[in-house]
Amino acid sequence: MTPPTPTLQAGDTVPDGTFRYIPYTEDPQRHSQSLDITEDLKGKKVVLFSVPGAFTPTCHVNHLPPYLQHYDDFKAKGVDIIAVVAANDPFVMSGWGRFEGVKDKILCLSDPEAEWSGKIGLALDMSQLHFGIRTARYAIIIDDLVITYIATEPGPGVTVTGAEALLAEL
Amino acid sequence: MAPTVKVGETIPAGTFKYIPYTPELESNAACGVPVSLDITKDWKGKKVVLFSVPGAFTPTCHVNHLPPYLQKYDEFKAKGVDVIGVLASNDPFVMSGWGRFQDVKDKLLCLSDIGAEWSSKLGLSMDTPGGARTARYAIILDDLTIKYIEVEPAPGVSVSGADAVLAKL
Repeated sequence: MTPPTPTLQAGDTVPDGTFRYIPYTEDPQRHSQSLDITEDLKGKKVVLFSVPGAFTPTCHVNHLPPYLQHYDDFKAKGVDIIAVVAANDPFVMSGWGRFEGVKDKILCLSDPEAEWSGKIGLALDMSQLHFGIRTARYAIIIDDLVITYIATEPGPGVTVTGAEALLAEL
Repeated sequence: MAPTVKVGETIPAGTFKYIPYTPELESNAACGVPVSLDITKDWKGKKVVLFSVPGAFTPTCHVNHLPPYLQKYDEFKAKGVDVIGVLASNDPFVMSGWGRFQDVKDKLLCLSDIGAEWSSKLGLSMDTPGGARTARYAIILDDLTIKYIEVEPAPGVSVSGADAVLAKL
C-alpha cells in the first residue's frame, strides 16, 4: 500500500476538528468527551502520532511503547501533550491505553472514520481488508496550532514517526 | 429487535476472524495473526455458547457481560459446552486485545464480526454513528442447530447473560 502524502506541511495551521476520548481515571468512565483541536490545543506544544489500529502488531509493540518510555524526555523538551490517535472508537482507545499502562501520560484519541486525518490527506482505505477507513501511520508536532513537523511512514515499521525521530525534531 | 431465525433452525453460515490464544501473546511482544473461523465447518457436532456485545471495552460489556462468562467457565464445561465465544463488530486485533485485558486466555474465543455482517443476517445488528454494531444477544448451538436465541430487550444484561444461558443448558 503506498503511503499517503499529507496535504499540509510545516508552517501550516492544523485544520479544525474534534477527537473523542475517555480521560484517564482509576475507574473506567462510561462516557467519552470531545477534544476540540482549535480550542484545546491552542498555545500548546503537542506531539501527535497516529496508528492504523489499536492492538495491531506494529502499533502495539513498536510504535506506542517508546513514546511512553520517553515521556520524560518529551516533557523536558517542553511538550505539553502527547497523543496517539486511531480510527477505533474511544472505548477501544481507552482500553488500549489502559492495556499499555499509559495512564494520563498519553491521550488516546479516537478519530472516527479517520475524518480529521482525512482532512490532511492521511486516511487509509482498508476496506478490502475489512478494516474500514483508518488513519495512516504518521506523526505531527504542533506548536500553538502550527505544524512544525509532519511525516508519514514510507513503509512498514516505525522510523520517521517514532518517538526518537520526533525527539530529535524538538 | 427480534432475531430472524429461531430455535430449531440451522444457524446461518458465516466466518469470523479471530486471533487464537497463545502464551506468547501474554508478553505483549506479539499481537498474533488473525485466522478465520467457519461456523459450518468448525462448529459442526459441537455445543456452542455464543454471546454478542455491541463493543469491546464498552461499559456494560466490559464489566457486566463478559466477566461472568469467564467466572462460570467450569460450569459451562460441566454442561457439555465445547466452545464459548464472545462476538462484537470490532476488528480481530481489538477483540484479541480485549480478551487479553480480561485475561480470558483460551477459555473464550474473542471473535470479530466485522461490520456486524453475520449478525445482521440474523436481524441482530444495529446502526450506530460509528457504523453497524452487533446487538447484545446470546445463542446456544448444538451441532449447528439453534437451541436458544435471545436479544436483550433493554440496556443491561439479563437473557443474554451467563446465568440465563446456563439455566438453558
